[in-house]
Amino acid sequence: MPSTTSHQARAKHVDKFMAFTISGGGLLIIGAVLAMLLFILKEAIPLFLPPQSKSMGMLQATRAGGAWVDESGKAIVLMSPTGGLKALRFPEGTPLPAPADGPALPWRSATALNARGESLVVGADGHLFLTRLTWSKPAGENDPAQWTLEPRWQGGLQLEQVPSEILHFRLMEGGGLGGDVSLRIVAQTPTGLVWTETSLEASSPVVAWKSIAYEPSLQPTAVVWSSDGKILFVGTREGQLVALDPESGRSLSSEGFGEPIQSLGFALGQQSLLVGGVQGKLAAYQRVRVNEVFKLQAFHSFPRLSGPVLGFQASQRDKRFLAWTASEMVVDHLTTERRMFAARLEGPGAAALAPRGDVILHANEATGALRLWSLDAPHPEISFGLLWGKTHYEGYEKPEYVWQSTGGADDFEPKFSLVPLVFGTLKGTLYAMLFAFPLAVLGALYTSQFATPRLKNAIKPTIEIMAALPSVVLGFLAGLVMAPLLERMAVEVFLYPFVVLLLSLLIAPFWGRLSLPFRNAFGNGREVLWMVPVLLVALMLTSTMGPWIERVVMGGSYRTWLQSALGVTYDQRNSLVVGFAMGFAVIPIIFTISEDALSSVPKSLTSASLACGASPWQTAWRIVLPTASPGIFSATMVGLGRAIGETMIVLMATGNTPVMDWSPFNGMRTLSANIAVEIPEAPLHGSLYRVLFLAAFLLFILTFVLNTVAELVRQRLRRRYESI
Amino acid sequence: MSRLTERFRQGGVFVWFSGTLLAFCLAMILSLVGYIVAKGMGYFWPSPLVQVQTTEGPVLGEITGHEPARREETEKIQFRVGNRDIYGQDFRWIPTAELGQPQYPKDALLIERLEYGPFIGRIASLSREGQQFATGPAALAEALQRLPEANRQRHHIQSIEKGEVGDLNRRIEKLRLSRRKVEASGDAAAQQALEAQVAALQTTYDQLQTSLETARAEAKAWTLNLQTADGKVKEWPLGSVVRVIPANDLTGLGKLGIYLSRLWEFVADDPRESNTEGGIFPAIFGTVMMVLVMSILVVPLGVITALYLREYAKQGWLVRAVRVAVNNLAGVPSIVFGVFGLGFFVYGLGGSIDKLFFAESLPTPTYGTGGILWASLTLALLTVPVVVVATEEALGAVARSQREASLAMGATKWQTLWNVVLPSATPGILTGLILAIARGAGEVAPLMLTGVVKLAPSMPLDGTFPFFHLDRKFMHLGFHIYDVGFQSPNSEAAKPMVFMAALLLLLVVVLLNLFALNLRRKLRERLGGSTF
Repeated sequence: MPSTTSHQARAKHVDKFMAFTISGGGLLIIGAVLAMLLFILKEAIPLFLPPQSKSMGMLQATRAGGAWVDESGKAIVLMSPTGGLKALRFPEGTPLPAPADGPALPWRSATALNARGESLVVGADGHLFLTRLTWSKPAGENDPAQWTLEPRWQGGLQLEQVPSEILHFRLMEGGGLGGDVSLRIVAQTPTGLVWTETSLEASSPVVAWKSIAYEPSLQPTAVVWSSDGKILFVGTREGQLVALDPESGRSLSSEGFGEPIQSLGFALGQQSLLVGGVQGKLAAYQRVRVNEVFKLQAFHSFPRLSGPVLGFQASQRDKRFLAWTASEMVVDHLTTERRMFAARLEGPGAAALAPRGDVILHANEATGALRLWSLDAPHPEISFGLLWGKTHYEGYEKPEYVWQSTGGADDFEPKFSLVPLVFGTLKGTLYAMLFAFPLAVLGALYTSQFATPRLKNAIKPTIEIMAALPSVVLGFLAGLVMAPLLERMAVEVFLYPFVVLLLSLLIAPFWGRLSLPFRNAFGNGREVLWMVPVLLVALMLTSTMGPWIERVVMGGSYRTWLQSALGVTYDQRNSLVVGFAMGFAVIPIIFTISEDALSSVPKSLTSASLACGASPWQTAWRIVLPTASPGIFSATMVGLGRAIGETMIVLMATGNTPVMDWSPFNGMRTLSANIAVEIPEAPLHGSLYRVLFLAAFLLFILTFVLNTVAELVRQRLRRRYESI
Repeated sequence: MSRLTERFRQGGVFVWFSGTLLAFCLAMILSLVGYIVAKGMGYFWPSPLVQVQTTEGPVLGEITGHEPARREETEKIQFRVGNRDIYGQDFRWIPTAELGQPQYPKDALLIERLEYGPFIGRIASLSREGQQFATGPAALAEALQRLPEANRQRHHIQSIEKGEVGDLNRRIEKLRLSRRKVEASGDAAAQQALEAQVAALQTTYDQLQTSLETARAEAKAWTLNLQTADGKVKEWPLGSVVRVIPANDLTGLGKLGIYLSRLWEFVADDPRESNTEGGIFPAIFGTVMMVLVMSILVVPLGVITALYLREYAKQGWLVRAVRVAVNNLAGVPSIVFGVFGLGFFVYGLGGSIDKLFFAESLPTPTYGTGGILWASLTLALLTVPVVVVATEEALGAVARSQREASLAMGATKWQTLWNVVLPSATPGILTGLILAIARGAGEVAPLMLTGVVKLAPSMPLDGTFPFFHLDRKFMHLGFHIYDVGFQSPNSEAAKPMVFMAALLLLLVVVLLNLFALNLRRKLRERLGGSTF
């Protein structure tokens, strides 16, 4: 029959096709699911990639004392007392228009352009000017060829005396209404250090200098203003770093540096003072309160450079900074102390870091050669040591584990230590397991060994329902019902298990005296039911005893008692609440798997034990439990996995504060809750985003390993049962 | 002494002890479920309004809490006094010592309003456009009579606002986008045609607005002059009243009517007052939609994987390892799936789709932001292991003789699978699906990253082409619980709503689970075999 053969042929084709489709599809799906891990890892890996830098080329220009580079890396500004401000386009070297509206050339002196493109200029007539670089760009025009440099000149202040060198100045914004800007200057004169504060209005009176009466033995080499303009940081030839009150000349604090200081600077935020020595030593200091006293404290050090450190420039985006000598130039990151960039130089000169910190410029003083490098380092603030070790952050007394990913200000130093989060995860898991493990395992033992079959058939579905409770419901109850209740009745809650234990111990001997037929008819295997009224009695007992104990033993209030006797504070949403709620989520998991393992212990073993005269409990405890212990271990692993990854309960039942404290009365922040809290706000592919992916990767690996171990143990146990 | 030791060794005590722990577990579960049921179900039952005399004047409200005397604090009673616009808070704790004789005034009213929570007090008079219309009991009767009409009018206005106005807005927005496209191409004629269309739509829009204005003005014509127990006066438009409940003057049937009406509002209406009042229909709808899409995705994924693993793959250590790995995915925290969903689906796939097909509306993302599709896909990944495990078990349980019979008759492998194996495995697959749905419906953490919002402006399914909007954000019961309970400014007043939402979620999840587990148990009993 030809139709049958064609039918068969078609069936064969379909069969082949389906085999192909299902195999391909199945493999694809399995591959896709497993690729999840790789994807999460892939998103986290860029955190650890080394910074990439490359030379952008060279350009011959006129010699200059100051240099500045725009964030595009295409527009360069050079400044010299003879040539004024000149703008260039890189790499062509074509000049960009710049009106010569500043003070007449040549100038007497000019400070190097700082990171924000500001400089103080003393004109030929001895007047003082402030200039700030601004560009006039046609709307939407990104090509610097079309830009015009329009420096904003302010001042024209008459100076009482022209100093030999202006060492440092600071603009103090918003002193008065309308955001008046005042200027604080520190300068060197032949007679010593002088300072002044002046407004920038051209109508201001003649600027008079106040001399600083510092200790005559000090020979200042570098001076900078603190961020609030109230303190001068002075580096000396003797290798001392001194915080000086300019009004009185009094030293507020001082600290040895170890070699003569050559230059000073600030990292972004003006909190961290960068110090460079004559022999290339590089360190960061901060003024921090230690034991109620402000102290200068060395808190970061960086690999040594060769020769005197000529200057610093900070990125305006993060905590990286540029430092250079006559022969080399580096970019280091303050927080991680990581060297992100290093290049050799052919001589002294001016250097600049673009505002975003991704372009580096060096202008050779002697030859006028300009060299540019690009630096690609998207996550400089992350290092392995920062994630897992103690780091000394700005404003902190000592190195610590801190998680604080965002702050109010742009110059905030992000703190990405995963340690407090891992700690929180472990803490929550520990309390949950402390609560869940005994309940679940002993409950399973009872169910499998002592309960009557009918009771068993009622218990198991109830526990299964418990497993199905959505964690958001548990978290809600924990946070809004249990936490206030526990706060009100902490003593009673602590008391309750002991009372229940006591009652159950009292009942057992009494029970033993009852006649055997009665016990068999009503009790054995149904102890659970008898315990329900006992639980209620215990509830009544504790609720009367609790307030009494609190009054008599704790002197009225358990919170003050905790505070005075144990020195712990009580948070409403604390680890106990989490342990309880998360334990609730874990109990059914441990219970179900343990119960399966315990019930599957071969009957031959228990019968042999009972036949030898062991009591049911002895059989259960000495024979069944040890035999099934791998199963219980496996159950615990799965339960652990669940507790580690639980998100909603922790999110709702703790205060989510990343503290590191084992106290059960404090909250915590776990890895999972941290992801839920922070990832919606994390900018795509930013450091925070990737760190959170790293946290997710950790969770994945941790739970996957736990579950795999559990599964392998269970499989081995299954084989053992079969062989018995 | 030795007898005691002997008895201790025999361990009767420990049996009791372990029994106690189990009893404690069971008591916990039952009291938890019972608590939610009691709190949730009781909330809609109208409670009496109690008036008491305190040192600061009369207080009228529902009794909502009680705190016994503890430590320095005396016994206190919590009153829900309402009138948030007048008192600034909904609740007041009053020490029992200060309470006089409680009274239940017949004329006390609980007035549910669109804003500021309920008003508790009395109606002094009813006015129309400033003219007094009725006072005292007559005003109440009149108000009760006019209320249904006012409510109907309000619903009418709302439906115009949400339906026609929203629809017009969307069409104008769409035209604006195509205009941007045309502008880029520089086709002047097409541009003009589009402008004309926009103008026409704008006219319709304006007309609609004027008719809405008149309707709104009309709704405001009738106003109630309300008076609180302590004599403060408040004028309130009848159009913004939801229900007037003479709480102390109700028969049992009347209470039941209000209970049912409130329950219906809860299930079928939109939320008000940043989700703390009104209904949760969008959340229910969003949950159902998401679970549906997830089911559509998860069944083929799970079944194909299981078929491959059990029927086509060469059984060996590799397949065993893959099986263990797939099973273990069920234990990976849901938040990790959320992170993956956010990184891969939302930013990765969604971002690419936007660049390819919705470039004109960038930088506003269409698919490159959370949405129901991405949330469902993420949950499908999360629940695939459940379906795979269940399907594999079901495939394994199909009797060998059946397959062999089919193969012996000359059927191909696929024919055997399709006609013999899969039909008998269907209940098992269904069990897996139901378990997956139960798991998916209760998950919140991954959704928070992939598309759930506290208040969605429009539903994922509506009358605008293409009717089913996979890119839209949605509301979800579980997230609703989290959001209202923990993010809401007035969480004390919203608590009963949260209990009700929790009860609903619990019911759905528990019933689904019970059903699936029963089905599984029956199947296992029929087929025999151990569970461990």
